Amino acid sequence: MMKHEISALMDGELFEDEAEIMFDQLKQDPDAHRDWAVYHLIGDVLRQPEYVHRDISAAVSECLLNEPTVLAPRSHAIKQKARVFALSAAASVLAVGVVAWMSLQISPEAAPQMAMQQPDVRPVNLQIQPKSNDYLMAHQEFSPSNDMNGGASYMRTVTYNPGEKSQ
Amino acid sequence: MRVWLGFCGLLLAANVCAAEGNARFDWLKTIAFAGHQTDYSGVFVYQYGNHVETSRITHVVETDREYEKLESLDGPKREIIRHHGQVWCYKNHKMVQVDSHQGQVRFPLLLTDQLSALSENYRVSEAGIERVAGYDTQVVLFQPRDNLRYAQKIWVHTDSGLLLKSAVLNDKMKIVEQYAFTQLKMGPGVDRSWIASSATTAFLGKGKGKDRPARNKVAATVNSGWVVDALPSGFKKTMEVIRPMKGKHAPVTQLVFSDGLSAISVFIEPADGDEDDVEGLSSRGAVNLYHKVVDKHLFNVVGEVPPRTVMQVLNSVRYNGK
Repeated sequence: MMKHEISALMDGELFEDEAEIMFDQLKQDPDAHRDWAVYHLIGDVLRQPEYVHRDISAAVSECLLNEPTVLAPRSHAIKQKARVFALSAAASVLAVGVVAWMSLQISPEAAPQMAMQQPDVRPVNLQIQPKSNDYLMAHQEFSPSNDMNGGASYMRTVTYNPGEKSQ
Repeated sequence: MRVWLGFCGLLLAANVCAAEGNARFDWLKTIAFAGHQTDYSGVFVYQYGNHVETSRITHVVETDREYEKLESLDGPKREIIRHHGQVWCYKNHKMVQVDSHQGQVRFPLLLTDQLSALSENYRVSEAGIERVAGYDTQVVLFQPRDNLRYAQKIWVHTDSGLLLKSAVLNDKMKIVEQYAFTQLKMGPGVDRSWIASSATTAFLGKGKGKDRPARNKVAATVNSGWVVDALPSGFKKTMEVIRPMKGKHAPVTQLVFSDGLSAISVFIEPADGDEDDVEGLSSRGAVNLYHKVVDKHLFNVVGEVPPRTVMQVLNSVRYNGK
């Protein structure tokens, strides 16, 4: 139950008040605290295997455990991070669902592998922040993808996340 | 109609010489030509990770000037109108001009030397005929020769040359992002009434719109003195400007490099000291962004290339000026 909630918190699926309660629980409960650290580690390894070398997991967990600041529901900035932070089991399943379905639609060579190995899901946790949209827009003007996709590529510059508050 | 016929001729020519290796790159010219010269309107899906979004695009050509409207169909209303180098964006209930490059005609984009650079960095293969949005398409695959760029798979409408679907694939041939039309209408019959509608003309008028922001100064081409030492092979500098940017006190230097299929932009500006984080990597679909504060400068590198490439580029930026 607790695990499920940690997972939801990492996915940004909790409301702010629920998240505050979870943060408090995480601070008090060492088991939950450890789960939280381990989930992040799993997420990190899944997403960026090329940056993970042998036998650093212990060191990484230790570092994570030694970083109480991660847990402090400090300010706006930290909430943002918590919200977009990680990809939990639930989200992975959803992502695999969508990606696998899309692969079947478009890419016969990718489809069979999909069933066999861990999906190479993009790091959805590290979404480009809306404040960087201007860089994307400025880049888009000069990208060859403009001439390929026409204006369709501009969708990247104004795309939204359902969790994101429009301002 | 004339354009249409001329275009079919071109397409035929492209097909006839497709046996030659380089001729496959002609699909790119075909797409670019068709994309600029065809009237079309359709609904497409844009997907990356677990994000799926539906949008409508309408493109019409009037006396050689293009008008293009992109509307989001999911979530909050967002709209982008492009016309002759101007880009307008409707977001959060406001229409603002985000860029103006009037007089700067970039078509035709693919020059011969760019095409030869492409063949040095990508293997191209035709991968059969598939149906997309009810039309027959030729599938063409561009596979990079190194791991510093993504593979691209495109579905080209065999009659019109329009790009009906495209996918960006990583080095494991997994999809990073894709666009696909689900419904498309071409030729006469495409709605063009919106061009004359009051909202559009107010913004696309002769530059007299009241909301035209003060920052709308033309970006100045410069030699800024900034250089990138570790560009992937085949990336050539296509642009170097100093430009104003929204919310920035100082102008921003932008360098753009392209290998013909994808581009990398390097943005350099004085660090304002209150950056939330001094370094970070983030992504949206095929676009990766790496930013870092070094020596009181904020660097942002953006490109539709893998994370390692934007990092490599940023870490090799150097000031070579006075």
